Amino acid sequence: MSLPTLADVVAQLDDLPSLPAVVMELLSAVDQADADISVLAKKVSHDQALTAKTLRLANSSQFGLAVKLTTIQQAITYLGFETTRNLILAAAVTGCFPAGRCPGFDDKAFWRHSIGAACAARVLARRLHFNQDIAFTAGLLHDIGRLALVTLYPEPYAGVLAYRSAHDVTVREAERAVLGVDHVEAGAALAEHWNFSPTMAHGLAQHHTPEALGAGFLATIVHVADAVVHGLDLAAEQEELVPTVSAVAWTALALDETAWLDVFRETELQFGEISRVLME
Amino acid sequence: MTTRYQHLALDQVRPGMILSDVLRDGQGAVLLAAGTVLTENMLARLDQHGIESLPILRDGAGGSEAEATDSAAAEARLAYLFRHNDPDNHDDWATGLLRRYLTDYRLGREVQS
Repeated sequence: MSLPTLADVVAQLDDLPSLPAVVMELLSAVDQADADISVLAKKVSHDQALTAKTLRLANSSQFGLAVKLTTIQQAITYLGFETTRNLILAAAVTGCFPAGRCPGFDDKAFWRHSIGAACAARVLARRLHFNQDIAFTAGLLHDIGRLALVTLYPEPYAGVLAYRSAHDVTVREAERAVLGVDHVEAGAALAEHWNFSPTMAHGLAQHHTPEALGAGFLATIVHVADAVVHGLDLAAEQEELVPTVSAVAWTALALDETAWLDVFRETELQFGEISRVLME
Repeated sequence: MTTRYQHLALDQVRPGMILSDVLRDGQGAVLLAAGTVLTENMLARLDQHGIESLPILRDGAGGSEAEATDSAAAEARLAYLFRHNDPDNHDDWATGLLRRYLTDYRLGREVQS
């Protein structure tokens, strides 16, 4: 089989498992009136598994609510529409790709890393007064292009993994060498296909190049959160490798050592709780 | 994260060993408190409660030897994780700082402020 081009990837995105229709609607409902939003929330409620997972996230200690939320409508009341929407998305996306299609690709380790990055990004966002919902979701989705490539090209992707082991390079370098397309490009295509907001799409596309002009602060947060989670070893992958941290991104966060140690601690705490909900 | 406890199968646990964490049954009810010195009677009853393994404090609870082993293992793992980071390459100082802070974190070092 010849190597896929980015155009091939884009053309095949329809073959990927899709998010539940109601989640797609929620994603594009940014500017809709509140009345429509409550209709959408009702639709989410018809999906019992999705609702249950979302509510368990909403009831996690992260939000410290004194009441136990039992409906999506309540979640919107207490946490707001933005937060609830991001929780629904997190609950939906972690269950939508088939596992075990590509030999050697560890789906569980993939999600452990992604959930870890989501927690680290949220912890950083809180300290830096950036939108925590957006940071969490961007962290969760930063490598979603890998899942797209694994699902579309399971056999060639096994070659990527073998190349990575043999040459001890980063995943992205191995993807370029073997597939010709990397997960950042595939992720950007998927972000567009799934109607992610421009901020989110941009943050995902730039997370390996946060020093680029106009990359934006979200890319900086996700870039550093990614490295932190590799360093914390949260994916528990034998061949784990910490990528190079951009000095520009590191400097932009302007945290001292005491703050960093708190970030590590908070990230590990959140990871324990959130990964239990999302990876049941 | 130093690991001062280990999970042992019930039949490997001997009277006199110390429980490192609170022990609950399947319904979440507390069976034994953390720090309990286990007796033969207790172990027999745990069997009836369907408990299969227990978190047990490692030998010599203060165990500086065990701690030293843990620290060495943590440092070795960090060296592997950061194997692409060359400490002498000053252009890569940000990766080096992340490594230093994570080492301090893993070894439980206090920050000098």
